[in-house]
Formats: sequence, structure tokens, C-alpha cells
Amino acid sequence: MPRPKILVVDDDPDLLRAMRLRLRANNYDVSTASDGYAAIASAQKEHPALIILDLGLPVGDGFVVLDRLQNSDSLSSIPVIVLSARDPQMNEERALKAGASAFLQKPADNDELLNVIQVNLRPGELAQRTAWPS
Amino acid sequence: MDPQTTQVLLIEDNLGDADLVRLRLVESKFPVNVNCVSRLSDGLASLTKETPSVVLLDLNLPDSRGAETFRRLMEHAPNVPVVVLTGQDDEALAIKAVHHGVQDYLLKDSLSSKHLERAIRYAVERQGLLRALEMSQKQQLEFKNQFLSHVSHELRTPLTCIHQYVTLLVDGLAGPVTPEQIDHLKTVLKSVNQLHAMIRDLLEATRAESGKMGIEPRCISLAELIHQAVAMLRPTAQAKRVGLEIGIDQRLPLVHADADRTLEVLINLLDNAIKFTPAEGSVMVKACLVEPDKDSVYVSVTDTGRGIHPEAKALIFERLYQDPDSVDNNRSGLGLGLFICREIVRLHGGRIWVTSEPGHGSTFSFTVPIYSLVKLLRAVVVYEERMRPAFVLVRVDLAPVVNSARGNWKETWQRCLEILERCVYLDKDLVLPPMGTSGTSETFFVVASTDLEGAKIMTKRIGEQLERRKDVKSEYTLKISTVAINFPQPSDVATLEDQVQSLADHVTQAILASLEQKPWRTTNEKNGNSIKSNKFNQRKFN
Repeated sequence: MPRPKILVVDDDPDLLRAMRLRLRANNYDVSTASDGYAAIASAQKEHPALIILDLGLPVGDGFVVLDRLQNSDSLSSIPVIVLSARDPQMNEERALKAGASAFLQKPADNDELLNVIQVNLRPGELAQRTAWPS
Repeated sequence: MDPQTTQVLLIEDNLGDADLVRLRLVESKFPVNVNCVSRLSDGLASLTKETPSVVLLDLNLPDSRGAETFRRLMEHAPNVPVVVLTGQDDEALAIKAVHHGVQDYLLKDSLSSKHLERAIRYAVERQGLLRALEMSQKQQLEFKNQFLSHVSHELRTPLTCIHQYVTLLVDGLAGPVTPEQIDHLKTVLKSVNQLHAMIRDLLEATRAESGKMGIEPRCISLAELIHQAVAMLRPTAQAKRVGLEIGIDQRLPLVHADADRTLEVLINLLDNAIKFTPAEGSVMVKACLVEPDKDSVYVSVTDTGRGIHPEAKALIFERLYQDPDSVDNNRSGLGLGLFICREIVRLHGGRIWVTSEPGHGSTFSFTVPIYSLVKLLRAVVVYEERMRPAFVLVRVDLAPVVNSARGNWKETWQRCLEILERCVYLDKDLVLPPMGTSGTSETFFVVASTDLEGAKIMTKRIGEQLERRKDVKSEYTLKISTVAINFPQPSDVATLEDQVQSLADHVTQAILASLEQKPWRTTNEKNGNSIKSNKFNQRKFN
């Protein structure tokens, strides 16, 4: 079974290196990008199964990237997890509105991150719709 | 209008006195324009339209007397300099006036034009200085808060890197590590966790101070929260060989509180108690009702530590306060924990305090408001001392179409609640606080003072308004149902209070019956919960 590919976008090369190791150890393929422009280019070329996105990025910040992804027919279905040091109170709702699937604040718990990745990689399961009495 | 002209608003009901003041002002030869009114209400109305340079205020007016007069005026126009002009030579009243912010207190019978002119000029100057000082303090506070918010963000970036690499090493992802090395790395990780907690507290305290901390109260069980907090701190207590006990009154009613925030208070108090209790000591958390208070649940955390000095008691909840005796403790934190606790308790309308005897431990207590349906209903179901004639229970269900991790449902429910509140008449309908901990699906109840026919208009409006929200329309199924509350028409014997109580019982029954008909949570909720970004899970990461 092919390993799902995750694109990690962050402008801190040290963090990218650590994330690569961590995700590979958990059976994911990893590609990285360190600015907004490279993130879009990489997403178009590699069609990752999921994107982990920082917000503060050079050459188009995280919100610009989210906007580009949402407006692209081929990329809008890729789930995006925002992983940022920014205050969730100011950024979480905005990121989710812009199309992100989840918002985690740095430093995030590894188990929690892996869990969110797993949930978002599963094809949308239909929730049991509850039939209400009319 | 000449900007050099001093605009005076004279509030004086005695025409003779008013003329005298006018005369004194004209004599003084400084350009002045006097607008005279004889009632306080007219003065307040005039202040709403335009701001004079100064208000000259008589205290005994047809519609207000004494201290009440300046109190009302200052409340209405806090930024306008006020000089009291009165016949009452009352030093105590004068001091009281000055404490309220009145600039000067002059007696009518000893008034010279020079004296009055000076008083006005200085009053204007002093008020100006005061305003400038207030502004600069406000700016400084804002600047400081912005700075702290920025700092906490900047600190997180390197901390993330340290955390990532240490966990890589601990998990053996960068090659084999000896047990001894793992032990060292875990010590590093512990410090990283502490640093993380401090950064979070810094941001929380900043929010509390700038009034940006919000709470989202629901109808919840306090006992559950206490068990949760104790379970989280059990390992810490065990490591220190400190006993951790719970004493909860079995008849404890549900409370109206923000679960996450209240848990934060409990964790903070328990953490402190364990920290300051020596080995073999014990920490006890209790929750009970205290007669005759019918509005609150009392929670207390008691330790057998060394206690708190009486002088420290007053300061302990202040921002940045550090117990001077705890300097030997190298894990003393920033001194923000209790400040944050106090702000959270205050936001809930509760109190927090400490009792202690040095050498014999301390007890930290706080109150949490009880969820009282009767009290909530009382405000809307009674009109002109009679019960309204008919009531309907409206149930609004939102269940996710697809069970994905998408979206921040907590935020969504809060927005939905606000929408519901805009869809009802707040004087006769009641949106009940949501129940239990929030999940991926949500059920709201509204008690509407109307019949089923009237409720149709409301449910239509609710449906339209909720579906206007893009995320609700695309990701949730909306179901609205109504049921009449069969409430026996009031007999002449029952008091109004009894009737409200009886209605509350009927509403409770209707809600329970409604919930029994169909489970109000879908079975998939567990998935949603497990991925939710809970800040208390983030507290200790490994």
C-alpha cells in the first residue's frame, strides 16, 4: 500500500527537518516547502494527500495559500491542517473559514497532530443521520 | 462659535442665583457664553447634544438633590469638568463631591467674579490633564498587552523546535538512546512543558487584563469537572506522595458555567495545593451547597501545606504576586495562575477567596452559579404579575452531515446561540443555556411564550437565520421541532412563585421527554471528541 504523502509548509528549516523525521517514522511520505509560493507549486506538482501549513510565511502567507488552494478545482479537496504559533483566538476561526480543516497551536502534542492527520486522511465517512420524528 | 469663548452650562433652578452667577461671569471680562437650565434632566439632555467647557452645578434642583445630583451628572458626562455652586456649606459633602471627580465646590454667598473665573479656568485645565493621563495610561496598557501577545508568539517558535527534537530523541527516531539519556531528555521535556505553561499563562493574563477573555457558559455537572481535574493531577500528587481526595455533595445541582474555564480554575488550585504540600500531606477538593445561599455551589481546595501569611492573603490574587517564602521553590511559575483564576471566577459572577492559618495549610474557595431554570424563566414568563397564557418548547438540532474533523464546532455553536437569541423576543422567550459538554452535534431549547401557531413564525425565522450561515447550511442538518407545554391554567390559590416553579417542572419534563424520544447525540461523537484541540491535553505533551 503506498504511503500517503504529506506536504509540510514552514519557514523554519529546522522544524521541517524534525517534522520530516517524525512523519516518516509514522509511515507518511513527506515533501516540504518553506514559503507560500513554493507551497502552491509543490501542491500542484505532487498532489499531496494532506497539507500541514504554517501561517507566518514569506512570499504569500498561510492565508494566501489557503485562498489559492480553495480556488483551485484540483487542490480544494486536499485537507489542510494549520499549525501555527499564532493566537488561536485571533486566527482559528479565520483559518477554518478560509478552508482549513483544523487549527493546532505550536508547540502541538505529537499524538494530537498524528491523530488529526489520521482523521483528515480518512475519506469522509457518512455520519449516521438521525431521523427525527416529524 | 468662538473657540476662545468658554461655554458654560449652568444648572440652577433659582433665577436670582442664576442671574447672579451670570453677572459675576460677565464682570470677569473673559469671553463666556452661558446656557442656563433649571432641571438636572434638562442639563443631561443638553450634555447629550453638545459638550460645554464646564458645568456649574447647583445641588438642590427640582428633580434631584444633594450628592445624587453630581453622581448622576458625572455618570452621564464623566469627561466634562464640573464645579459645584451651592448654598450648602457642608465639608463632608464637598469631599464626597471631589471624590466623585467634581473639580471644585464653591459657596454661592462668597462668590467673587475673580474667584469664579479662576475656579472655572483651573477646573478646565485639571480636567484636561486628567484626560491626557487617562489616555496615556490606556495607550501604555494597550502597548504592553500587544507586546506580551507578540512575545508569547515569538517564544513559541523556538520552543516548538526544542520540543520536536527532544521528542524525536526520546522516541528513538534519531537513533538508539540509553535509558540514562532518555531520563535526561525527559527532564528537558519537563522544562519545556513548564515553559509552555508559562507562555500560555502570560497570554491568558494579558487577555484577562484587556477584557478580551470570554466565557461560554453551559448547563454542566461540576462533579464531572472535579473528577476530571483530579484524574489529571493524580500522577503529580502521587509523584510527591501527596494524598488527593474528593468530597462532593450528592445533591449537587447543575451549574451554569464554562466547562473549560472552570476546569482551568480547578487545575490551577489543585496544582498549587499539591505544590505547597509536603510529602505525606494531603489535598482535599470539596463541592457543596452552603445555606442560605441558593444561587451558588461552593468549591474548596484544602491543603496541609505551610499556609499563607495574613498579609499575603490580600495580595495573593493579584497579577504577578509571588509568595516571598516560596523563593526556595524553583518551580514557582510567573505568579499569574491565581490572577487568571480570579478573573475566570469573576466573569462567571462568582467570588474566590482564601482562608489560612500559617503552619496549618490553606483553603481556596470559589463559587459557581447554579443553573436555575426557575430563575431564568421568571424573567420572561411573568407579565404584569400574571403568568403568560401559553408556552411552547422549541427544539433546534444541528447534526453534522459528514463526520469529519472539519471546522471548529465550539465556535459554530456559540455563533448559533447568538443567532437564536436574535430570533426571539428577549422579554418573553428564553433560549436555554446549552447542556453538557459541547460536541460535534448540538441541541438548543427555547421556551417561547406563545402557542403552537405563534411558534411557527419563530421557527421559520430561526431556520432562515441559521441557514444563512454558510458552514451551517453546508455541513449540518438542521431540524426544528415544537411541542406545547401542557401547563395547567393558574388557579387562584397558587402563588406566582409556585406557578413559575410548576412551569419550570413542566419544561424540564418536556425536555427530558423530548430527549428520550431520540438520542440527542449521534453515535459518532466520540471521533469528534478525540481530535478536538483541548488546551488541557496540550498542557502536558510527550
